[in-house]
Amino acid sequence: MLDIQNLQVFHGPIEAVHGISLSVASGQCVALLGPNGAGKTSTISAICGIAQASGTIAFEGTDLAKVSVEDRIGRGIAVSPEGRRIFSNLSVEANLRIGGGIRSDRENIQADIDKWFDTFPILGERRSQPGGTLSGGEQQMLAIARALMSRPKILLLDEPSLGLAPRIVAQVFQMIAQLRSEGMTILLVEQNARQALDISDYGYLLNNGRIQAQGTSAELGGSKDMMAKLTGLV
Amino acid sequence: MTLTRGQKRGVAGACILALILISIGVMASLFASNYQLRLVYSTFVNLIVVLGLQVFMGNSRLTNLSHSAFMGIGAYAAAICVTPVAMKQIALPDAPWGLNAFALDPITSALLALVITGVIAFLVGIFIVRMTGTGATIATLAVLVIVHSIFLYRTDIFKGNQAFFGIPQVFSLTSIVILAVVVVFISRGFRESAWGVMLRASADDETGAAAMGVNVTRLRLIAWVLSSLIIACAGISYAFFLGTISARPFYFNHVFLTLAMLIFGGMRTVTGAVLGTFAISFGLEVVRWLETGPVVVGIDLPEVLGLSGVMLGLVIVLTMAMRPVGVMGDREIEELFIRKR
Repeated sequence: MLDIQNLQVFHGPIEAVHGISLSVASGQCVALLGPNGAGKTSTISAICGIAQASGTIAFEGTDLAKVSVEDRIGRGIAVSPEGRRIFSNLSVEANLRIGGGIRSDRENIQADIDKWFDTFPILGERRSQPGGTLSGGEQQMLAIARALMSRPKILLLDEPSLGLAPRIVAQVFQMIAQLRSEGMTILLVEQNARQALDISDYGYLLNNGRIQAQGTSAELGGSKDMMAKLTGLV
Repeated sequence: MTLTRGQKRGVAGACILALILISIGVMASLFASNYQLRLVYSTFVNLIVVLGLQVFMGNSRLTNLSHSAFMGIGAYAAAICVTPVAMKQIALPDAPWGLNAFALDPITSALLALVITGVIAFLVGIFIVRMTGTGATIATLAVLVIVHSIFLYRTDIFKGNQAFFGIPQVFSLTSIVILAVVVVFISRGFRESAWGVMLRASADDETGAAAMGVNVTRLRLIAWVLSSLIIACAGISYAFFLGTISARPFYFNHVFLTLAMLIFGGMRTVTGAVLGTFAISFGLEVVRWLETGPVVVGIDLPEVLGLSGVMLGLVIVLTMAMRPVGVMGDREIEELFIRKR
């Protein structure tokens, strides 16, 4: 479904990702693991179209090089960004509405919003409150629900466990596993390697902008030096 | 068409504001002297300017300092179109392009003035909306100065600092109150529309909004042009009421007056714009009275000229220091009535 070849990502003059290749098949959950500064978020930004990149990113066989951010979302790519990036002054409901902003079937948008309020009653109770008043875990749920409002074919999750208490992290991973079992294709960026691999089919290990290792979750999970690579000691 | 919760609240809020505006208009027409009527009228003109300013500044949270220039463009464009040929032959004997050889009816003139202001705002906006923060603010300041210079030095078209006279006085207090009510609905409607919500999201987090597919520059441009059109309406109704205009009222003093109104009331809400306009207008009248050195409870106060300018500066500084979001903050008027569950 998503096929990336020789991707380079630039932040101004700095090259953050040095030619990586990875692919995500339909219905798969693929983990992109690595320490801080490995280039994980840069890769996600390039797929969304908000970072300067070279190489090819193909989605369902189409090269995305000249496709705008809106059209990428329209084609079925959605992101829950790093740090959640909830619009703190807008209400919870308005946050969800923005996730569905590119959709034209206005009558179904409200139905989808109500569906998410049923799934997460705590969000429903706070639908009129500013998004910034939610706790970290609630904001993460909102960020994922907001991404799903565009009814994507692939969901990009950038560090959904960042800064959350262990108990909440478990809930977030449980939700991702649930989405995957419902058939959603997921590219999961994480530092939390063990838990990410538990719910993934395949994994890539990224460090210093290059892919250091890849394999099925079982292969990577069993690899002894993976943790050392993750912590940047190798 | 179904309305979202925010939009239903918006309708309720706009209705409450409309009621308040209509009551003020009715009270003024019943009890006010001629002098006071003119004050109330100019307050309503400023209200429309501040509402227009809110549409752009409140939703995009970029600062605009050029709004008075667009008010001037609207006023002059309408004035040049509507003034009878005989009057224009006297007022603008050297006007180029046959500007003094035609006259249109007030409605056509107003519409033409809106089209002209809209086109200019669009062309200027293309550059403004691509800048952020200080850059955008300084660029709008440059627009203000450029437009003012053209008003001043193209005396063959605008008469510069001299009065442009002979404009038919077709507007009354009733017309401006109706116009203000319509503008309240438009600005609240924009705030709660999908465009308004997305624009406010981009003000919270530009990169985050871009990742959600929000086209920030396009939305800013839409808000900028709509804002300029509303402000042009204020300019047109100013010219249509007074019958005479000059370049002076469309410059710094007016920029800071309306900016103080918006900042004091709170730029994020339409309610804040309305509250700020009336509070500052009333406050200014009190200060102007104090300026003249009146006798208050037996104490003969000294004459302090320029006090009103000091007060405007103080209002901006104190609001920015103590409550940067303004009196209303993020609350619209209906939220004062609907208590949170």
